[in-house]
Amino acid sequence: MREILQSANSTPTPHRLGANSPVVLIVLLALLCIAISIGSSRFYAIENITAILRQCALVLIIGSGMTLLLIAAEVDLSVGASMAFAGMIAMDVTNQTGSVWLGAAAGILFGGLVGLVNAIIVTRLKVKSLIATIAAMMILQGGVFLYSRQAIQNNNQLPAFTAISTGFFGPVPVPVLIAAIIFICTYIVLRHTLFGRYVYAVGSNPQAARLSGLNPERLKQILFIVTGLLAGLSGLILASLMNAGQPTAGRGFELTVIAAVILGGTSLNGGRGTLLGTLLGVLILQVINDGIIILGWDQELQLVVPGIVIVLAAYLDIVRRRAGAR
Amino acid sequence: MQRSPSLSATAGDMGAVAFCNALFRRNEMVLLLCLAMVIVFFSLASGSFFTIRNFANVFGQASLAMIAGIGVGVIVLAGEIDISIGSLAGAAGIPLVVIMNNGGSLELGIAGALALALTVGLVNGYLAAYLGINSLIVTLGSMFVIRGLIYLYTGQKAIPDEQSLESFYQIGNGRLLGTVPYSALTAFALLMGFMYLMRHRPFGRNIYAVGGNPEVARLAGFNVKGIKFICFVISAVLAGISGILLSSRLGSAVHVAGLGFEFQVVAAVVLGGVSLAGGVGSLFGVALGVLILSFLSNGFGMLDVPTEWQEVATGIIIITAVAFDEYKRQRK
Repeated sequence: MREILQSANSTPTPHRLGANSPVVLIVLLALLCIAISIGSSRFYAIENITAILRQCALVLIIGSGMTLLLIAAEVDLSVGASMAFAGMIAMDVTNQTGSVWLGAAAGILFGGLVGLVNAIIVTRLKVKSLIATIAAMMILQGGVFLYSRQAIQNNNQLPAFTAISTGFFGPVPVPVLIAAIIFICTYIVLRHTLFGRYVYAVGSNPQAARLSGLNPERLKQILFIVTGLLAGLSGLILASLMNAGQPTAGRGFELTVIAAVILGGTSLNGGRGTLLGTLLGVLILQVINDGIIILGWDQELQLVVPGIVIVLAAYLDIVRRRAGAR
Repeated sequence: MQRSPSLSATAGDMGAVAFCNALFRRNEMVLLLCLAMVIVFFSLASGSFFTIRNFANVFGQASLAMIAGIGVGVIVLAGEIDISIGSLAGAAGIPLVVIMNNGGSLELGIAGALALALTVGLVNGYLAAYLGINSLIVTLGSMFVIRGLIYLYTGQKAIPDEQSLESFYQIGNGRLLGTVPYSALTAFALLMGFMYLMRHRPFGRNIYAVGGNPEVARLAGFNVKGIKFICFVISAVLAGISGILLSSRLGSAVHVAGLGFEFQVVAAVVLGGVSLAGGVGSLFGVALGVLILSFLSNGFGMLDVPTEWQEVATGIIIITAVAFDEYKRQRK
């Protein structure tokens, strides 16, 4: 009853808002870039741009999956903890087998496994994803220390492992290339395929979706597994960046990702959101982070400013929707 | 009921509420049984578990999550959520310790801490209830902002208590007659007070009505925004009280205090049978949820089980409990 009322109040056409929403974010991003570049000439240096993009890559990889999950009215808070565990496993398997490929595969598959377990708990046992994935986060945070109390170092000093994060493909850093490929794939799937339409349908009104012959559970399972795999991939890149598997890596990363996705205009109630918005949200948050450092401000502001920006963006979204409804 | 007769539309809902109450009394029975099983198991496994001294310890440890859990329980029953409580609990210690270090009394310090909590509650409540921003976003934002301000102010270092007031030590660590911790008594008094409010006063019924179905509540003439606003204030103030006790226990204002506390508390609340959809559950259930997790943590400690296993076990227990709850509801 309540869900029907809610969705009846907020069934926007994704297109109209999709056409409307990015403008504010693009303007915001442009203003930020102008303001920071006035403050510091180093902002447009190629090294700085590369650093920003590399930071963006980690968030964007998981953010692509998280956007789809949130549009389908689910959420995954276990991605941060899963990243750390996946990185540890990737490093460990690499050390044991001497093969970076096997290590990478193990890390990514571990992430996918976490996603699968989340999917089963949410869709079969009907536990709300917010609480199910908080529990998964606890299990993973505890489990990773049981797996190894110390960081797992790159014992064989394989350069191929660090190349995952620090390598270049032409002028483009490898993680940025990976993130771009994943972003484009999910963008095409969400925007131009039937599956993408189904994601919106299931998120905005699961009952109606079921009555029209869709299988919301199956769809959500796929999305959880995809998000899990992406978390594994991100964990692999993070481990490569640190040249070690750290048990506390990625702690709190889930909130960074969700903040970026929300900033991009994706609704927590499901049914609404775009990947373009997520890309802009990720860029804005990382530009803010970078600006704070480059302008020599206190690094602690990296928590304060994004916190305000998220709430402000959510408010502007509400104002815009009200104006549109009139 | 003190309301106008226009409520006839919700008469069916009231019947449903009564039915749910009956169901959840039984749900609380299940939780009580779980708690008893946990206690029996650890009593058999460890000789020093079933002692007055240890139980007093557990109640003392549980009091922080209990106090914050009451606030989160109230706000989740109202159909909203507050995840800024961890940051806020950490922040509350700062005005407290700083005021005392500058020669203020304990009372003045507590007033400062509560004023900070009240401010956060008013801001959260205004943004979420009146401006209508999703409460998860609002409190995620304030969680970031508060933690960032803590780091800024403290320079990422703990602020030690320089006055070493005996009364400051006592509020978190003192024991009545040398056995019952004052913090447990505080938690118990707050629990009793709020249980009375939630069960027997219009205030509590309003919250259940608003959380159960805000649209119907609004049409029935409830001040939905006002009620939710008050719940945010309650949640913040209780988190502040929890933070005061925490800083007394730590003997200082620690910049990382309360990190991850919000997830522990939300987990205990959900374990206690409160539905994240709002309107279903009870504070008694919340108290049982907190106690089960606290006894588990204490018992594992007694058996020298690594703390990491506790995290794993807690996660599994929460999933099992919520899944079981859902299974029961579907069979009905």
